[in-house]
Amino acid sequence: MSDASRFPRAEVAIAGIGCTEFSKDSGVGVFTLAARAIKAAILDAGLEVGDVDGLCTFGTNDSIPPNILAQALGIQSLSFYLDQFYGGSVSLSTIGQATLALSAGVADCVVCYRALNGRSGIRMSGSSVGAGGQRLPWDMQFKASAAYIAPAQEIAMAARAHMLKYGTTNEDFGRIAVLSRTHALDNERAMMRTPMTMDDYLASRWIVEPFRKFDCCLETDGAVALVLVRSDRAKDLPHRPVLVQGASWGGGTTIVNNGHDDITESPAKPIADRLYKAAGLGPSDIEFAELYDCFTYNVLSQVEGYGFAESGGVPAMLADGVFNRATGSLPLNTHGGLLSEGYIHGLNHVYEAVQQIRGDAEHRQVERHDVALVTGQLGYVSGYSSAAVLVGA
Amino acid sequence: MTDRRLVPVPDRDTAPYWAALAQGRLIVQHCRDCGVWTWPARPICSGCHGDNLAWEDTSGTGSVYSWVVTHQAYGPDLARMVPYTVALVRLDEQGDILIPGRFVSDVEINQGLKVRAAPEAVSDEVGILNWEAI
Repeated sequence: MSDASRFPRAEVAIAGIGCTEFSKDSGVGVFTLAARAIKAAILDAGLEVGDVDGLCTFGTNDSIPPNILAQALGIQSLSFYLDQFYGGSVSLSTIGQATLALSAGVADCVVCYRALNGRSGIRMSGSSVGAGGQRLPWDMQFKASAAYIAPAQEIAMAARAHMLKYGTTNEDFGRIAVLSRTHALDNERAMMRTPMTMDDYLASRWIVEPFRKFDCCLETDGAVALVLVRSDRAKDLPHRPVLVQGASWGGGTTIVNNGHDDITESPAKPIADRLYKAAGLGPSDIEFAELYDCFTYNVLSQVEGYGFAESGGVPAMLADGVFNRATGSLPLNTHGGLLSEGYIHGLNHVYEAVQQIRGDAEHRQVERHDVALVTGQLGYVSGYSSAAVLVGA
Repeated sequence: MTDRRLVPVPDRDTAPYWAALAQGRLIVQHCRDCGVWTWPARPICSGCHGDNLAWEDTSGTGSVYSWVVTHQAYGPDLARMVPYTVALVRLDEQGDILIPGRFVSDVEINQGLKVRAAPEAVSDEVGILNWEAI
């Protein structure tokens, strides 16, 4: 019988991180973005390109795959690779899968990366259906029929259902947007560094009601890479090892499927249950969290699903400042998230979590920074979800 | 007929569904063994995992569960349509079947509003499912 607690807890660590600039137009191809981020991550880990024997990535055919990158890096034969279709929902599974490979000893040094020209190239907001070479999911036909093809539409549908059931309001979503922007103001990596007020949020145009422009994340050109090795090796490398205490990945719920009659139930719950079993700890142990915020509502639903709030309980926590970086008991999206830092489909959340745990987050540094929850998208659209708990050694 | 370019692409398993919509009918797979309805069309019953599934006409009616108003054009031919409303409708036959479709009535939409399928033929093989207030 499978048992999430059998996850190889703390056996693997993130020893290096690298990223490119996050911009609206990188001026280079995705191949170059990936190479830059990966080389930076390897350097940060105190290792060399020749040490890498595994590559993991994900995307919707807008990235550069491991087999091509391996050639460029001079890797004669990869010991481990992963190239997953889909976006942020599967992002953290790259870390989970790399951990399994490293723990089993079939690989020694795995790089997880995401590289894309998400603003100057293929954009989520203009062409969500099979733009040039993108593989179409099987359920797209049922969405195309309804002209219901963008994640913004599907997730807004769940947000509306939540508003109807619990009285959640646009102001509640606005608090999340404003908080994220506040956290981005002093983040040099962030694309959005001008202040946002609630009035600014409420004046921003409708994208898909109930989502306004500021409910939606950015589109970004850039790349992030992470270097993972076994924990005993990480101890000898330059930085404080950031242990993969636990990870889980698997099913969320899709909206185009019968069997779910309440789409306000957080799809994060089954992932959260397995994650906490894998990590051997619970919500009260989490000191800060980087939650996948492609839209503001996702943050709210994850706070519920990961056990920090009862259903409908998040607005009160927002009003109480629970998630503020400086003073809150659960600092959230300390870098500004996908909403205000940049949209590297979730790996930039890992980058920030690692900096925080190392104590390298400068003005953004949160006081209690040893145990972090980092998540991928909770399962809308793809039906996949993923998350990890990271702990400083 | 419609000149909409964003249309469903049927596969062998779903072709009957789209063809029926082209004829104005909303058909859903109904298990001859356990009686559970399965949407969207799949080769396995969502109730008993069997394969004894029959295509059957539904009442075509349901009630609105949630909805979104789309202002952003997500495809080249959608610029003509925005803003438009997509409703997620709970089918009367079975409470866990939620089907999205463009809401094409002028009345104000709210949760619980009674609607019926208003299919629109795109070709002989494919119809689009819209919802209209009853």
